[in-house]
Amino acid sequence: MPRKLQFHLARVFLKIFLRDRQSIFFSLFFPIIFMTVFGFVNDGEQDAIEIGIVNNSSSAAAMDFTQLLIDDPLFDVSLGDEARLREELVEGDQTMVLVLAETFAAQNEGSELRLLVDAAQVQQLSLIMPVLQQALISIEREFRSIEPMFTLAVEDVKARSQRYLDFLLPGLMAFTLMQLSIAGSGFNIVEFRRKGILKRLFVTPIQPRDFISAIVMARMTIVLIQLSVLIAFAVFLLDVRILGNFAAFYFVIMLGTFIFLCLGFCLGSIAKTQQAVMAVGNIIIFPQIFLSGVFYPIDSMPELIQPIARILPLSFVSTAMREIANSGASLLSIAPSLLGIGVWFVVSFVLATRLFVWKEVAN
Amino acid sequence: MAIIEVKNLAKQYPLPDNKSKSFFAVDGISLAIEAGEIFGILGPNGAGKTTTLEMLEGLVDIDGGTAFIDGIDVSKEPYKVKEIIGVQLQANEYFDNLSLLELLTLFAALYSREIDAEDLLDKVNLLEKAKAKPGNLSGGQKQRFSIACALVNNPKVLFLDEPTTGLDPQAKRNLWDLVLELNKSGMTIVLTTHNMEEAEILCQRIAIMDHGKVVAEDTPQNLILQHAAEPPTAPLHGNIEDVFLALTGHGLRD
Repeated sequence: MPRKLQFHLARVFLKIFLRDRQSIFFSLFFPIIFMTVFGFVNDGEQDAIEIGIVNNSSSAAAMDFTQLLIDDPLFDVSLGDEARLREELVEGDQTMVLVLAETFAAQNEGSELRLLVDAAQVQQLSLIMPVLQQALISIEREFRSIEPMFTLAVEDVKARSQRYLDFLLPGLMAFTLMQLSIAGSGFNIVEFRRKGILKRLFVTPIQPRDFISAIVMARMTIVLIQLSVLIAFAVFLLDVRILGNFAAFYFVIMLGTFIFLCLGFCLGSIAKTQQAVMAVGNIIIFPQIFLSGVFYPIDSMPELIQPIARILPLSFVSTAMREIANSGASLLSIAPSLLGIGVWFVVSFVLATRLFVWKEVAN
Repeated sequence: MAIIEVKNLAKQYPLPDNKSKSFFAVDGISLAIEAGEIFGILGPNGAGKTTTLEMLEGLVDIDGGTAFIDGIDVSKEPYKVKEIIGVQLQANEYFDNLSLLELLTLFAALYSREIDAEDLLDKVNLLEKAKAKPGNLSGGQKQRFSIACALVNNPKVLFLDEPTTGLDPQAKRNLWDLVLELNKSGMTIVLTTHNMEEAEILCQRIAIMDHGKVVAEDTPQNLILQHAAEPPTAPLHGNIEDVFLALTGHGLRD
C-alpha cells in the first residue's frame, strides 16, 4: 500500500510542479545567461588589448618593433601622435600608449620606451609587460644577431584544449542542482505551511516519510529535466565537452539532487516563514558557492579553509561531476567523492525525516 | 452508544506574554457524542472549541484526560483515528494548480482509496466546477469543497470547524442543507460555531464552552427553557442566543 501511495502522490506533485511553468522556465534563465556569457565572451582567447603607439623614431628597428606588435594577436594597435592617443587613453578608448623616442634603437645607447597607462588598468599590465619585453628582446637579438639560447615549447599533457567553460560547466550544474533542489523542497514546504495545506494533509493518514519521498521523487524528476535542458544547451550550442560516461554523470546528479532536496526539507522544517527560509537558505547556499570549487578549484583556496571546504556536500558533488565531465573518470576512480556523497545522502535523509514531524511543521 | 467519548480532556499552552507560565486552553472537559447526531460546540473566541477539535483530530497532543473515537484511543492510535474521520479546517487553501476533480482524487489517494470524484462533487453541488481551481471558487463553494475533501474516506465522524463563518445567508443556508443531508445518511457530525441560529437549527445537542470548560450541555430546546429570559409557561420566545449570553456574559471578546 505505501509504495503505491507514494508513486501516486509523486505523480500528483509532479503535475503540480509542472504546471508552474513560469518558475521552471525562470530557474533556467540565470544558468543559461551565465554559460552564454562565459561561452562567448571568454571563449579561450583574451580580448585584444588596445594599444596606441607613438612612433617618433624613423629607424627601421622602430618600424620592425611596431610591426611585431601589430602582428601579435594580443594587441589591437593604433598609430598616431602622442597628444591624440593620450586623449584617447584618458577617455578609455586605449588601454595604454607606448611612446618610442626619436633615439629608439640608436646604436650603443640604451633606449627607453615610455608606457602611458591608466592606473585603473593595472591588473592587465602584468600580462602585457612580458609580451612587450619579449618583443623588445627579439628585436634586440635581430640587431645584434644573437641566436636565442632557450626556447620554450608548451605541451598539454591532456592533449586537448580545455576552456574555462569546460571547467565551469560541471560546477555550474552542481550549483544549479543545489539551488533548484533546496528551493524546490524548502520553499515549497514553507508555502504549503503558510496556506494550511500541511495541516490539512496532517489530518489524513499519510505518513511524513511518504509525503517526503513523494515530493523528492516529483521534484527530482523536474530537476533532472531542468539540468538536461542546461546540459543540452551547453553541449550542443556552446560545444562544451563531457568526456566521461553520461550515465555516471547523471548518477551523481541524482544523488546530489536527493541530498539537497532533503536539506531543503530540513530547512523548511526549521524555518517557519518565507523570510526565515530565505535567510537560512542563504546561510546554506552562499558559503558553498565560494567554498565548493564551483567556479575555481578548491586547491587555490587558503590552506586553512580547504579541509572545511572539502567536506561540504556541494564540494563532493561538484568534484565528482567535474572528474567525470573533464577527465572522463569512472565511478570507481571517484570513489572518495562518492563516499562523501554517500555519507551526506544518509545524513541528510535521516535529518529530514527527523525534523519533519507533522505536529511541528503543520502548526 | 457514544461514538466519541471524552473524559477530562485538557490542553495546556504557554501564556503568549509570559512563556514560563501556562494556561489551560481546554480545562478538563468531558463529552459523550452519540453516533448519528449533530453535536455543536459553541463558545466565544478563545473558549477552546478549536483546540478541542484539534485534539480529537490528532492535530495537537492531548495533555490530560482521554479521548476515544469509535473505541479507538486518539492519543495512542492517531493514524487509525484519521482513517475514520473527516476534517474541515478553518483555513481551506489547497494546491494552486490542481482542479477540484484532481484534488479530490489526491485526497482519496492519501487514504489509499479510489473514489468517484464527480459523484462526490455532485453531492456538494459543485459538479459544474469540476475543472475549476479552488482559488476561483466563492466563499460558499470553497466551504462545500472543503467538506467534499473531508468526505473522500466516507468518514464515520465529520468535524466542521466554523463551517459558515464569513458566508452570506444564501451560502449559509445551502451549507446547512448539505450538513443535514449528510447527517440523514447516518454520519455523526461535530461542529463548532459562533452562530446561535446555526446551532439551534442544525444541532441535536450542544455544548457551550467558556474559558476551556463546558458550562452547559443539552438539547437547544432544553437550554432555552432553562436559561432564556421568558418564563417557560409562555410560548417559546427567547432563542439560543439568549442562552449563550446568559451563560458567557455580555462582555466583548477579542
